[in-house]
Amino acid sequence: MQKKVFLGIDVGSVTTKCALMSENMELIAHRYIPTSGKPIIQIQKLMREISSEIPSDCEIGSAGTTGSARYLAGEIIGADVIKNEITAHAVAATHFYPDVRTILEIGGQDSKIIIIRDGIVTDFGMNTVCAAGTGSFLDHQALRLGISINEFASEAMKSKNPVRIAGRCTVFAESDMIHKQQMGHSTPDILYGLCQALVRNYINNVGLGKTIEKPIIFQGGVAFNRAIVRAFEEELGTEIMVPEHHEVMGAIGAAIIAWENYNATGKKTHFKGFAISDISYETSTFTCKGCPNQCEIAQLKLGDRVLARWGGRCEKWEYISNIKESPEDAAVTG
Amino acid sequence: MRITFPHIGNAYIAVKAMLDPLGVDYVVPPKCNKRTLSLATKYSPEGVCIPFKLNLGNMIEAVELGADHILNVTGHGTCRMGYYFKVQEQILRDMGYDVTMMLTGLSEHKLRGFLNLLRSVSNNAPWTKIISSFAFGIAKMTALDDIEIMANNMRAIEKVKGTATPIYRKGLQAIDDAADYRSLKEVVKECGEKLSEIEIIPDYKPLKILVVGEIYVVLDPFANMDVELELGKLGVITNRSLYLSRWVKKGLFFNPLGIDQWRDVHKAAMPYLKRDIGGDGWETVGEKVISSGHYDGMVHLAPFTCMPEGTAQCIMPSTREDLPVLAIYCDEQTSKAGMLTRLEAFTDMILMKKTGCLSR
Repeated sequence: MQKKVFLGIDVGSVTTKCALMSENMELIAHRYIPTSGKPIIQIQKLMREISSEIPSDCEIGSAGTTGSARYLAGEIIGADVIKNEITAHAVAATHFYPDVRTILEIGGQDSKIIIIRDGIVTDFGMNTVCAAGTGSFLDHQALRLGISINEFASEAMKSKNPVRIAGRCTVFAESDMIHKQQMGHSTPDILYGLCQALVRNYINNVGLGKTIEKPIIFQGGVAFNRAIVRAFEEELGTEIMVPEHHEVMGAIGAAIIAWENYNATGKKTHFKGFAISDISYETSTFTCKGCPNQCEIAQLKLGDRVLARWGGRCEKWEYISNIKESPEDAAVTG
Repeated sequence: MRITFPHIGNAYIAVKAMLDPLGVDYVVPPKCNKRTLSLATKYSPEGVCIPFKLNLGNMIEAVELGADHILNVTGHGTCRMGYYFKVQEQILRDMGYDVTMMLTGLSEHKLRGFLNLLRSVSNNAPWTKIISSFAFGIAKMTALDDIEIMANNMRAIEKVKGTATPIYRKGLQAIDDAADYRSLKEVVKECGEKLSEIEIIPDYKPLKILVVGEIYVVLDPFANMDVELELGKLGVITNRSLYLSRWVKKGLFFNPLGIDQWRDVHKAAMPYLKRDIGGDGWETVGEKVISSGHYDGMVHLAPFTCMPEGTAQCIMPSTREDLPVLAIYCDEQTSKAGMLTRLEAFTDMILMKKTGCLSR
């Protein structure tokens, strides 16, 4: 009998991640690439790359997806479990750090805090109406100051007297940074000031009403930035741990959940195989004319066959097997 | 004189039932949709809450259909809602629409005020007729809530997903069409039977979540992005602290008799909050206290920038009762994808707390 390996894919707004775990839940391989606004093509690219990493005596036992494009990714690869990114991150963190009590996670477009007690999620928070201080914002500011995001941390760490930046909102933060730059403050001082502002904003907004206790781990793409890690440590007055594979923890979590699901149910996987890398999927949208709401329905098609539809307020298009009329009919009858 | 009134959930069905027998010329605004929201945000002050915005959108769309008199409620509570009618009237006038607001103060005039309002739109119809049409409206309101509760229960446990909701929607239409008490009773019975015949998942123990918060966003599925429907799809039974029929009955009948209709809830909130803070903030805190033990979790809906619910939300984490609470702010900026992620994570969290694992 062939050994099983478990696949997790995390398709975020900015980056697409994938992790391959062994039966003993050890990481075999992982990938981290930009989503570049083309999730389907990037998922296919990941699948092509990861397929070469599977040991010859192994096959996929189960697959899971997470991230903001989890439903799309799940449909394309034939995932057995589709989980939200909060659960996936919590599962991965407790796997590597069973005694963790707080998880800080900052990604491209959102930031979360997860409170864990006795290995179980007891509370979580996510940035609401404000995106200040996520990875995209740091990227943008680095670009504006003419340094690459890879140099960001080393530049910021040179700071001697960080300036205070208003971090409540990206718009205010940017104008405040420009103000400080025009006054003649050095770039490292502004950069580290920005890191501190981001951390303050995170603690005050995302972490509002949450008790942050040790051990604390910090994961997600922004954890690459050592300056942010240092700003967190200064603000919280304690040590922060950054997992070795912090950027793919979501994908690892999805793989672990797929493994748990496989062990609990023993069902054969729905995984469609690595051949899906070479199929061309088609996505399109149409406006439902069934009621005044005029929902924009997105659909994923393979040839003539509709695989999935999203975006309606009612159940009219959602359950493919229940649908009798085609979008074209709806447009006419509406 | 052509009357209109803003939407709140399915209440329009009940209001229609009150106006129809009185021979009032009225127009129901189109149900809240994307256009309503775009109009609303275009003409509303930025920082005002979503109930104000959607109501204004309803009014604009109704005025376009020829309405010139708007039925509205006001109140002297602690929240800004008491002034909304005046601001909305001014905005409509600035847009060049000549409209008249027909008001009743919910907190000061109660039942009498509402009946007087009905009388004034009906060209002074006899009181017996006013009272009988009001009663029929309340009967429809009760029927609407009855089938909604049933649908919310079935949606969580149905075997084929997407079975209960179409039956519920047909039920809404049938209630709207019912012309008398007998046909109303029949359609409710028929809808109930159809819902109870749905095949359910055997041995499935659904989670139970209570939905609380500000009345408009709790009652209006457009404003709360169908939160109950989405929880139902996740296999969760939802119940609410507020149903319009109960709220109206308690507010209009008990309150004038000097009875505090929310006494239990207020009493429960006392250790944490000792007074009314406007809107439904006091009740929200109380609901958390009395719901722990009866529910697995609570979803707290609040309009963005709402002072009472914002206050309530800040009190929530410090109460002694161990009940997970998920706060969701409803605003035109809120994305549904973000809400779904939170709902999924919230149900996972409760499940892990209860059973220690994710698989059911």
